[in-house]
Amino acid sequence: MSIDTQLLEDTATELFEDAPCGYLTTGLDGTIVKVNRTFERWTGLGRDELVNRTRLQDLFTTGGKIYYETHYAPLLQMQGSVKEIALELVRADGSRLPALINSVLHRDEIGRPRAVRTTVFDATDRRRYEQELLRGRDREKNVALSLQRSLLDGALPSSSSFKIDVFYAPAGRELEVGGDWYDAFWLRDGKTIGLVVGDVVGRGLTAAMTMGHLRSAVRAFAAVELGPADVLEALDVYSRRYGVGDMTTVAYGELNAEHGSFRVACAGHPPPLIHTPGAAPRFVWDGRSPPINVYTQPHPRPDTEVTLDPGTTVLLYSDGVVEHRRRPADQGMEQLLHLVADREEQPLGVLVESISDALFDPDAGDDRCLLGVRVASEDD
Amino acid sequence: MLFAHGFGCDQNMWRLVWPHFSDRYRIVLFDHVGFGQSDAGAYDGRHYSSLKGYADDVLAICRELDLRDVVFVGHSVSAMIGILAAAEEPDRFAQLVLVGPSPRYIDDDGYTGGFSESDIAELLESLESNYLGWSSAMAPVIMGNPDRPELAEELTNSFCRADPRIARQFARVTFLSDNRDDLTRVQTPSLVLQCSNDVIAPRAVGEYVHAHLAHSRFEILNATGHCPNLSAPEETVAAIRSFLEP
Repeated sequence: MSIDTQLLEDTATELFEDAPCGYLTTGLDGTIVKVNRTFERWTGLGRDELVNRTRLQDLFTTGGKIYYETHYAPLLQMQGSVKEIALELVRADGSRLPALINSVLHRDEIGRPRAVRTTVFDATDRRRYEQELLRGRDREKNVALSLQRSLLDGALPSSSSFKIDVFYAPAGRELEVGGDWYDAFWLRDGKTIGLVVGDVVGRGLTAAMTMGHLRSAVRAFAAVELGPADVLEALDVYSRRYGVGDMTTVAYGELNAEHGSFRVACAGHPPPLIHTPGAAPRFVWDGRSPPINVYTQPHPRPDTEVTLDPGTTVLLYSDGVVEHRRRPADQGMEQLLHLVADREEQPLGVLVESISDALFDPDAGDDRCLLGVRVASEDD
Repeated sequence: MLFAHGFGCDQNMWRLVWPHFSDRYRIVLFDHVGFGQSDAGAYDGRHYSSLKGYADDVLAICRELDLRDVVFVGHSVSAMIGILAAAEEPDRFAQLVLVGPSPRYIDDDGYTGGFSESDIAELLESLESNYLGWSSAMAPVIMGNPDRPELAEELTNSFCRADPRIARQFARVTFLSDNRDDLTRVQTPSLVLQCSNDVIAPRAVGEYVHAHLAHSRFEILNATGHCPNLSAPEETVAAIRSFLEP
């Protein structure tokens, strides 16, 4: 035997034994039949304890064992190989080794499965990094949520001439916050209230911050009594100048319960719903224009005035209420009309909540916001 | 024969089994919503918040295809889904084949399910981290080969791939379920196929199912693990056949 060959043979053995990964050969049921030194070292288990006595899956955590039986083993049998599965091995001392595991099904000459060859990679650092990323994501989500919550806090105007109620639910637990906001405030005359429901583009912290900007801007423009159309136009200018809130949709209305008047403008937002007792609920299709900052030039926006009889209910809402993956907006709006018609007798607070519930899809990942105002009826 | 796959993969779990019955039976295979080739858009968290939702789907398939005298073959959690379906509409079902059934995974007073509550919590956690490994293993391959869409197709449709959100919910519903009381509601002749050394459905659990079903046969396979339909298809086929055609 030449020296070179000897070296090669040594290298092959060493490469197996001290490779930078664990090597295993197992029977089809997972029983370990061959294992390298690296694996012994990593697990703290000697080959006397492993070979013929332990199945690979015995070394996983309980959760890992279930994953092995429900995913790993079937995949291996169906595909002939499995790649980069993240599982944890329990070491002799009970500590855990995060690992990435690959297996190949070894077949005999006529194609019958004979054994499984497996490599195990130490994924400690990678797992730590993944966990950091997850923690970072959760942190950002929590900041955004609390920011959103703080912006929506605060008492709604109250008066004997109207009732006002809100349903607000941020997107599902597993998703980032959306950018829906609502607002209701007194205007300078002390008799008119400003009502807002808006929806900014995007998710997470950025969306929550944009929403904060626009909410303040609407309040400021409303305070100087521009009126709904001009408030939205001013919002265009604001959005363009400060680079926030592009493509936001918003409905802004001013309601005077004593006069029974409601002037409203909608920038790309679902139309307000009006329900006069004894009449069919309807949408306000006038006073509409595109979302915020869509026009390249300053562009007048329309608004419209609706007369509100005593007892009339006005609903402003975000698209998350009516629209989701499996239900186009027009269907949701149709449903909304029926739901409101069927609930004529319900107190406003109950109505707002029961409608939101009825339209809710737990898988829809959007904020849902519904703001209702009911003008006092003659018997109130 | 209506074959239902369990938690984890899709109808491919039956691919070594169903062809042996296709000469004498009409074969119906399906993927639970959120798995395999199913339309994940049809997933409704409320409908699938308990195994009953899945059983309703089985019955919907029976109605849609006008299936009668059904031999329902359910693996793992789908065995219990079959129990629920048969309890609901007994007339549909001629026989039930329950492969690795468990009516409750978590131990209870006087009952050994094989798992503690913390084990299941750990499983749910481990699914979470597995999804990370899973997605990052697949994504580069899919995205790195835009000129080979069939690769993405094959990977995204690979047998055990599921919307992680749906898979997590299905795991929760499965492993936290308790359907022990439903066993006694079923009169359909049933075969309980028990693997040797099955960590997910240990022998004591299979025996429990057998003892609480009105008409059942209990058969222990030499196959180990939880998926004899893949690891020992011949033995599985033979056991089912001798039950159906004594």
